Amino acid sequence: MIRIDGQLVSPGAGGVYNERMVKGYRVWDPFRSKLAALCMLDETIDLTPSMRVLYLGAANGTTVSHVADYVEVVYAVEFAPRPLRDLLVVAEKRENIVPIAGDATRPDRYAPFLEEVDLLYQDVAQPDQAGILIKHLPFLKRATSGPDEVSGPEQVSGGAGGPTAILMLKTRSVDIRMTPEEVFSGTVERLREAGLLIHKTCWLEPYHHDHAAIVCGIGDR
Amino acid sequence: MEYWCGSVDSEGVFRPREGTPHELLLAVQSTETDMQAFSPLTEDLIMQSGVFPDRKEYIRRLREVMFHHAALVLADAVSGRDAELLQMVRTLDQMDEAINLLSERVIEWYLVTNPSFSQKGRKGSIKRVLPRIRRTRSRPLRGMADQLEGLAAARTALAADVSRLAGRVIPNTSELVGGLVAARIMARAGGLRKLASMPGSSVQVIGAEAALFSHIRIGSPSPKHGIIFQHRRVHNAQKGVRGRVARLLAAKIAIAARIDFFRGEPDEAFLRDANGRIDLAAGGSHDQN
Repeated sequence: MIRIDGQLVSPGAGGVYNERMVKGYRVWDPFRSKLAALCMLDETIDLTPSMRVLYLGAANGTTVSHVADYVEVVYAVEFAPRPLRDLLVVAEKRENIVPIAGDATRPDRYAPFLEEVDLLYQDVAQPDQAGILIKHLPFLKRATSGPDEVSGPEQVSGGAGGPTAILMLKTRSVDIRMTPEEVFSGTVERLREAGLLIHKTCWLEPYHHDHAAIVCGIGDR
Repeated sequence: MEYWCGSVDSEGVFRPREGTPHELLLAVQSTETDMQAFSPLTEDLIMQSGVFPDRKEYIRRLREVMFHHAALVLADAVSGRDAELLQMVRTLDQMDEAINLLSERVIEWYLVTNPSFSQKGRKGSIKRVLPRIRRTRSRPLRGMADQLEGLAAARTALAADVSRLAGRVIPNTSELVGGLVAARIMARAGGLRKLASMPGSSVQVIGAEAALFSHIRIGSPSPKHGIIFQHRRVHNAQKGVRGRVARLLAAKIAIAARIDFFRGEPDEAFLRDANGRIDLAAGGSHDQN
């Protein structure tokens, strides 16, 4: 991740959504983007040039455009027609964004267009946010295996650097009768049951209220 | 296993698929994917297929297909007969808001030019006061009043248009609650498809979201009616049966919306039965009271 004077930035042509520029880099505002907020709060999160990303809930493509600045390719899934229009405009200018007009609760409808990815990013604010993430686990690369796996034990534990899934949990969209904390612990429990290893969790205060980020890796199954 | 650029048979042999973006899209959409057994494309598969000289070309071709797909999805989203009606209702409601706000302001303004004027006893729409305001000495105020009258006329015309279009697009729902209310319910639901897939209980409280969520959260009394209260059979019903009428009417609207969505033609038999039942619920207990 590139930081200039403590600000998160991304390399790429500006003018996507009137974002500020600093020294030729696009400023990535943590108050607008949940992923930027997570990167501000957790410095171990990284996007690398070889990464392939499946981004669920691309909306109008602002965060997607920043991710695309860092990685090889972003598969950006969005369902609602209005934001989809904006997303297409962003994707036209960035050749490593593959826009997918699809409903994230029905991955079977667009599965044939996807490939294995290194990062699965779930930002669809639906009641079943964990379920949507779990449905997309088949697209996440398995942790490195096969003959060329001779790396140390830290790899086996699925530490940072391996295939990662990030859930941006909007607790208010899950169930308004439960407190954010209850929703959060329930969600973590569900992800564990689905065989995910929880690497890290954090609330996105002060940037976004009642939002939590859950960073997971894939288990040994 | 089917992929957009080819398929893998049971022996693991990749068979490439060629064609225009549209043909590739159709080929994939005609097959169903079982997520339980699915394994996604891998870089090895893509490169071994021999169809694409490099990654760049793969992504370029895939993007062609996906842009084409997105264009079709977008075209479909606005092709529904309800799309324009939806915008018209929302415009109408916003015009009401704007007219009300401006009217209040213009009346305040008029009070300055005519201190003895009081609105007491002049209840009703701005229309009653406007002729008076237009005779004021203040030229700017007269200009504003003229504009306001123009807006009110446009509003009336739009309401008639909404009603007429609703009668064609959602004939059954319109027949039950009138075109205007029917169109408002549909707009609030987010379109005819959404309304048609809603249970009657949701239709009943559309437009009463604040009351509904406060009911769910802190247990205040549940709302009996939202937008459907605007229909005379609900708001004219006696208090004791109003909830019952609202519930029955909402259930019938839910059915009517499905007929509108799937058939799009008035169903006389359904309408006769539904109207009869609703009138019975509204009037039936009149006799008992």
